[in-house]
Amino acid sequence: MILLLSLTIGLSAIVVFPTFSEAQSEQKTFVTHSGAVIRTTGEVIDPLYTVSTVEFDPMEYLREFNYGHVSELPDGTIVREFTIIAEDDKVMEVSPGVFYNVWTYNGTVPGPTIRATEGDLLKINFINNGSKEHTIHFHGIHPAEMDGVFEAVGPGGGKFVYEFEAGPVGVHPYHCHVMPLEEHIIHGLYGVFIVDPKEGRAPADEMVMVLNGLDTDFDTENNFYAANTIPFYYQHHPIQINTDELIRIYVVNMVEFDPINNFHLHGNLYKYYPTGTDLVPSFYTDMITLSQTERGIMEFEYSYPGKYLFHAHKVEFSEKGWVGIFLVNDNEEQDMEKVDYGN
Amino acid sequence: METSHKPSKGKMIASGVIPFLLIIVLAVYIFGPGSDLLDFGVSLPEITIEKVDFVGSEIHVTVRNTGPIPLEVVMADINDRIQPAAIEPDRFLERYETALVRIPFAWNEAEPYIIGLTIEDGTRFEKEVEAAAPALEPSLELFGLFAVIGTYVGIIPVMIGLLWLPFIRRISKSKYHFFLALTVGLLLFLGIDAIEEAIEVSNENLAGSFNGVLLTVTVSVLSFLGLYYVGQKLIDNAQLSGLSKPVAIALMIAIGIGLHNFGEGLAIGAAVGLGSIAFSTFLIVGFALHNTTEGIAIAGPLSKDKTLSKKSLIVKLIGLGLIAGSPAIFGAWVGGFSYSPFSSVIFLAIGAGAIFQVIVVILRMIREEGDKNFSSASVVSGISIGMLVMYLTSILV
Repeated sequence: MILLLSLTIGLSAIVVFPTFSEAQSEQKTFVTHSGAVIRTTGEVIDPLYTVSTVEFDPMEYLREFNYGHVSELPDGTIVREFTIIAEDDKVMEVSPGVFYNVWTYNGTVPGPTIRATEGDLLKINFINNGSKEHTIHFHGIHPAEMDGVFEAVGPGGGKFVYEFEAGPVGVHPYHCHVMPLEEHIIHGLYGVFIVDPKEGRAPADEMVMVLNGLDTDFDTENNFYAANTIPFYYQHHPIQINTDELIRIYVVNMVEFDPINNFHLHGNLYKYYPTGTDLVPSFYTDMITLSQTERGIMEFEYSYPGKYLFHAHKVEFSEKGWVGIFLVNDNEEQDMEKVDYGN
Repeated sequence: METSHKPSKGKMIASGVIPFLLIIVLAVYIFGPGSDLLDFGVSLPEITIEKVDFVGSEIHVTVRNTGPIPLEVVMADINDRIQPAAIEPDRFLERYETALVRIPFAWNEAEPYIIGLTIEDGTRFEKEVEAAAPALEPSLELFGLFAVIGTYVGIIPVMIGLLWLPFIRRISKSKYHFFLALTVGLLLFLGIDAIEEAIEVSNENLAGSFNGVLLTVTVSVLSFLGLYYVGQKLIDNAQLSGLSKPVAIALMIAIGIGLHNFGEGLAIGAAVGLGSIAFSTFLIVGFALHNTTEGIAIAGPLSKDKTLSKKSLIVKLIGLGLIAGSPAIFGAWVGGFSYSPFSSVIFLAIGAGAIFQVIVVILRMIREEGDKNFSSASVVSGISIGMLVMYLTSILV
């Protein structure tokens, strides 16, 4: 009987034990996006509204264009020289608390935005400091040996110089083209290559958005989606723009696994230039659909100040991070001009 | 004598201790700090979502670190859509530590949900809930309801079964053996059923690191041995405690069946708690029907005791009925209010061990009274019919 009793007590102790771990400590509160106020003695895990302390800064990347080291040939051709270093051993915090092995061009995903004018001579010094073979394959027009497919660059400091004339006009992706290709792309070896027309485009507040996904558990399904890598970043860090100012977005879809992605803008419509190759817009819409590496240029202006969402209307993507906010500020300068014109 | 034994005793202790010390040295060498002998391969973190409760406008998820290394739970999602959440006490989980993840979510009753948790290396673990149902709030009313269900499933059927006592008393020995064998068949089926159920629960809800099958077998064997030992002591000392031998055997059977009925109550409480109401109705009816046979099992040995007065027999019958039946009530409370898959597996396995112990006790009784073997027509047909009846009723349930 005693044996039975002690057995029962021992087992019930095992069963009851887990409830002891709910130790009491000070209360924290957080408000969910549906407005519910939650009190907890524990920790808040919230990638939606937690201000990220991630090392990659999407706000900096958004408006950063690299024109390279500029020189001029005797015939007047502009030469733009870039150095791009590939690495594949970096572990980055991609969402609060989630660490992922990113493969990078110059330390970031996406890599640096390369910008040139049509006809410029591009000289890209590529160094592979990774542990695997890598290349850079540019979309655009160039000689076969500059295509970054059959000229694998060896790991541990391998070098290659890509030289070609910038063209055609538009927005193009560049990415690693070593097999298995999907693996090299989803880990982050890609970036944006912009070719401006010789006559230039109208002045605007310009930005780059790479729509990408992160498959952090390697099950060929994306765990996160984002504009510029960090999920929900532009939701808790809204992009500040002004009323009556032309906004131009170079958008490139680099999402793998899912056949399509899309871009919906709230409270407005945009002129859309597919691939940016034509100077006349093809659509005036608030919704475009993008397949793999499909890209284009969007142009719009806001008339009313306030907060406007932009996101994938494939809602799964937006609820896994591909969502952001434009915070449109009243543009007093423009208003003044208007007043002046009125006078 | 003493002195001549001393050195050999020291030797004996040394010979017992030295291999043990060597094992410790070996273990320290392989696993101890600074050892890199086994420092190869990749340790994969693992979490198991053990329980999902739908409480008010929140979903409560109990998660356990069931992998070989400490980890952090950093994100929650519902149906693969990321949700803000709170984790208590904190997001750091040592091995086997549990935490409660509270996800504010306006869930809809009876809809399926997939709950996902992501750890710091980006791996996502999920658990599907077939139909959301509000978690049971412990209330006096529900407490009473479970007590009524427990009474209906446990006490009343066992009492009804006990009413066969006068009938069993009057029948011939071979017919009596048939009834005993019948209970063996019934119990054999129940014991196997409990083992199967325990393994199923552990496969579905417990992490691999718990070794569900071995856990079930180990606990069953321990339960069997514990009860067997205690039971034997009880029967041996029957005279001392003022119980006749048949009564002592009946008491042992009642305790074994009681432990088994606790498992049944647990199953019913858990089924109600998990919201599968139709399923629990079937459970209640099924358990009530077959528990009447448990009454027969208790009545069997008791019928051998012709010395008891009518009054004392009735008191004993009620007492044994309560011992065998009332644990169903406690089981329903535990299952309904604080369900955990781990404790369910433990209780089911204890119940299975208890059943097998009862089987052994009854078989021995048949053997001692009979022709020292089990090959009589009444025994063979009894066990066969018992198992067949249970199988057929299990199809209905």
